[in-house]
Amino acid sequence: MGLMQLDVPEASGGYRHYGVLARFRTAKELYRACEAVRDAGYSKWDALTPFPVHGLEKAMGLKPSKLPFVVLATGLGGAGLGFGLQSWVHIMAYPLVISGKPLFTWPAFVPVTFELGVLGAALGAVLGMFAFNKLPTYHHPLFRSPNFARVTDDGLFIAIEAWDPKYDDEDTAEFLSGLGAAEVEHVPIEDPADDGDGGGGA
Amino acid sequence: MAQSQDNTHEPVAGRAPLIVGGYDFRSLTEAVAEPVERKTPIGWWLFFLPSLAMLGLFGVSIGWLFWEGTGIWGLNNPVNWGFAIVNFVFWVGIGHAGTLISAILFLFRQKWRTSINRAAEAMTIFAVMCALVFPGIHVGRVWVAYWMFPLPNQMDMWPNFRSPLIWDVFAVSIYGTVSLMFWYVGLIPDLATIRDRAKTRIRQIVYGVFALGWRGSHRNWLHYERAYLMLAGLATPLVLSVHSVVSMDFATAQLPGWHTTIFPPYFVAGAIFSGFAMVMTLMLICRVVFKMEDIITMRHLENMAKIMLLTGCMVGYAYGIEMFIAWYSGNPYEQFAFANRALGPYAWAYWIMVSCNVITPQLFWIKKMRNHIGWLFISSILINIGMWFERFVIVTSSLHRDFLPANWDYYQATFWDFASLIGSFGLFFTMFCLFARFLPLVATAEVKTVLPEADPHQGEELVRVVRGGGDGEAVPQAAPAGGGGA
Amino acid sequence: MAHGPRIVDLDRLVIRPGSGWARLPLVAGGVGALFTVVSIVLARSSPEDAKQFFHSWLVAVVFFLCIGLGSLFFVLIHHATKAGWGVVVRRLAENLACAVPLMAVLFVPVVALGMYDLFHWTHADAVADDRLLQVKEPWLNETGFWLRTAIYFAVWSGLALYYRSASRRQDESGDEALSRRMARFSPVGVFLFAVTLSFAGFDWLMSLEPHWYSTMFGVYFFAGTVISAFAALTVLTLSLDFTGHFRGVITGEHLHDLGKLLFAFTVFWAYIAFSQFFLIWYANIPEETNWFLSRLHGTDLNPADWRPATMLLAIGHFAVPFFFLMPRTIKRNRVLLLIGALWMLAMHLWDVFWLVMPNLHREMTFSLLDLTSLLGVGGLFIAMVSWLMGRGALLPTRDPRLVESLAFENI
Repeated sequence: MGLMQLDVPEASGGYRHYGVLARFRTAKELYRACEAVRDAGYSKWDALTPFPVHGLEKAMGLKPSKLPFVVLATGLGGAGLGFGLQSWVHIMAYPLVISGKPLFTWPAFVPVTFELGVLGAALGAVLGMFAFNKLPTYHHPLFRSPNFARVTDDGLFIAIEAWDPKYDDEDTAEFLSGLGAAEVEHVPIEDPADDGDGGGGA
Repeated sequence: MAQSQDNTHEPVAGRAPLIVGGYDFRSLTEAVAEPVERKTPIGWWLFFLPSLAMLGLFGVSIGWLFWEGTGIWGLNNPVNWGFAIVNFVFWVGIGHAGTLISAILFLFRQKWRTSINRAAEAMTIFAVMCALVFPGIHVGRVWVAYWMFPLPNQMDMWPNFRSPLIWDVFAVSIYGTVSLMFWYVGLIPDLATIRDRAKTRIRQIVYGVFALGWRGSHRNWLHYERAYLMLAGLATPLVLSVHSVVSMDFATAQLPGWHTTIFPPYFVAGAIFSGFAMVMTLMLICRVVFKMEDIITMRHLENMAKIMLLTGCMVGYAYGIEMFIAWYSGNPYEQFAFANRALGPYAWAYWIMVSCNVITPQLFWIKKMRNHIGWLFISSILINIGMWFERFVIVTSSLHRDFLPANWDYYQATFWDFASLIGSFGLFFTMFCLFARFLPLVATAEVKTVLPEADPHQGEELVRVVRGGGDGEAVPQAAPAGGGGA
Repeated sequence: MAHGPRIVDLDRLVIRPGSGWARLPLVAGGVGALFTVVSIVLARSSPEDAKQFFHSWLVAVVFFLCIGLGSLFFVLIHHATKAGWGVVVRRLAENLACAVPLMAVLFVPVVALGMYDLFHWTHADAVADDRLLQVKEPWLNETGFWLRTAIYFAVWSGLALYYRSASRRQDESGDEALSRRMARFSPVGVFLFAVTLSFAGFDWLMSLEPHWYSTMFGVYFFAGTVISAFAALTVLTLSLDFTGHFRGVITGEHLHDLGKLLFAFTVFWAYIAFSQFFLIWYANIPEETNWFLSRLHGTDLNPADWRPATMLLAIGHFAVPFFFLMPRTIKRNRVLLLIGALWMLAMHLWDVFWLVMPNLHREMTFSLLDLTSLLGVGGLFIAMVSWLMGRGALLPTRDPRLVESLAFENI
């Protein structure tokens, strides 16, 4: 997660630009370009697309998500809590013989245990995803680019950030144009006219 | 519409396109976003106002119920459970198609789901809302309905976790919660689309807040896709469990006609069946109203018809096996319950159920019927009627003939029973109209992935099949075109 | 990435003469024949042994039959859904399914001789005293039993032979119409399969305890059948891969899919098994609980001890594989997936054993005949399947979706 925009303000003293933003025409071009950026040794960069491009993480050299471990933990936690609550209620808190069955009737606890396990796992998946992705993040320098609105329509972008060790205002822009980018621009890091933009859009 | 390309014939070599009409990314965004952005059309009001009126009737019927008590319903001594439970099971069942489309078809890589999953998921949530109303209001003493939840209280009492009705509370409310999360996670990129297209500040802020600042970063997509996959993996057993738990309301009892082990999978199949019928009804209307015939294509309708045929046969199998085992068991109570179902006072309901649920979908064996819009619409309505009657038959026909003949009675629904049934449709359609007006009806980001140009390896040869040695002559083979089934 | 296409040479995808696979029909056939004879000899030593033999043989035949039937189901569903990913393993499933006729040959004579020992409802004196059995006589009688058994085997064998031969004809001609015809007929095939399989479960396994009934039993039988087939298909695929016959064909993506299906049906089996147990346990109606009691601790009047067997089924058939097969890395690892698939095969065998044997023993008992019957039937089954594999290509070489299958990637 090296490249989270929230790290920007502290690290960005003295940077004029957030970085370079380049738009590509097709998913195929973007894929090739990502491979090239990865092979060129950049680390603080990102691809931005309107839909998940299949297999792009391979081209970008990203590691698989760690989310499954979170989900397993919260799922087992939910199930354990559910089973514990039911056992405690029926053995200790409110013991009552019902339909001639013993107090600890584990089969009858299975439905609620299962449901709470699923609830735990689903909450883990969604909230874990928000945490990994740092959502919500309403402010981001990329939103200052008027072109960038296309990212939720048909724009396929690569952004290389200024604090990447290999970054250079001119060379990086040229490098991206050389990969076949349709447009290349520098995104400003600060916008004096901008504050309190709740919508976060362009 | 007439010149739409026919994509219902799957070629043996390659795959038929999932959406037609020559869309690219931009025109697709336009087509999906446009209904959300234009002025409210008159046609929308034509659907919305009647729905709102029906919702009003729901409010009145519930108010009267609270004031008078459950005596306003047609319940009597052996039939203590009437429309309230029938409607509950019916609505929970409707809700199952949404999760099936979004989760199970996702796991099976059925990419055609992308055109309909958003609407189906929304429908699921609204159906679960309708369902949850009934256990809330049918408990008799509504002011203590919160006793269904395990809340510490001054009486030191706890719910009985061995009761199927408590499992219902957990299963259905968790199902609603997880469906809502699943739906919302899917909506985030599309809300960002509407945000970025917004013309007014208010729209920008409202949609922007819910879009969470989504900017399509692939580092985000990576976690996002994994979360979506896992939600699908979780929702699949969840959806099976929910209707299984609902079936256990009946099947854990000792009542002939209720107590039978096939109930859990049989209820799940029936739920998917009725849910698909409801999705079919709604999609047939929406694709015309919103001019989306090229996105929700004939192929989507045909595939849904095939699933209705499959689940209809499963339901028919369960009816048959139930009858057979009732006879095979040699148990006179079982045998009476099922003979009475088919030939007794509620035979009319039983045969409505059989003809709507088992016979109606059989016409879908014929391709022409699967592609016939009028028949699809009629059959989807018939199937929903049939599935409502299935629950009615299970509830009333098993109850009205008690073990003691002195208790026998006939359940007759009252005006207020019907008012709550019709009213629940009002709630459902009101919510759906609001959804169709303010949120994108189709999962734009997902549909874009089925376009050929979304494939980063488009046109590349990944595998070459040869005969005889390493560099032998290539065998002509179909190109692996994208967008097919699993 | 940009290394050019993966080359798959179709001419190498056959059983190579001189390899272990080429000798397998003879070796396995010899072992099978030998142990069949041994079983028969052992069975003749006493009436108790004969009774044991019929039960052991039923377990072995049903177990291997399930593999064939589940494979038939896979082939039918593959065509019905016009699936692409599994074309590379479909020929193996077709071959496994064609072992069904052999199982008919192994089933019919032994069960015919053992009718009296296996099925309580064939005892005329018992029926005379038992009202329930009298009521059930229109269904549970020997004529009906054999008539239905003949229908089941005819339907399954017909479907299995048709799908294998049509697919092999396509190897010759590359005719796309064959794909279309196979797809068109498959939904009907699935329907016939579902009905016959359920009733076979009722007739052969449920009626071992003729008083007991469960509407779910057909679905339970189906769930186990499909698990055993996916496990066997995985084992076969990986064995071919390890011996170099599937080089470049099978990727992690195919293994991942097979593993996912194995996992999914393990969960499905658990769902069905638990629901069946749970509803009977909860309602606590004596006619129904009896069947489970004789697989647990029995009753005071008629004690039993099968608790360890039932525990093993719950843990080994569900809990262990549930956590073992869940991680994606295991499903994509050849050795670990092989272990998982072999484990599930063993557990399915245990499931069939658990369904049949309490009919004979009140306590969990093993016999030498269990082993010899298994080796006898299993040897003949493997001989049949490997012989079929040796005749022609190991995958449908001219299926129009072969390249799609070779190249496919998971979501």
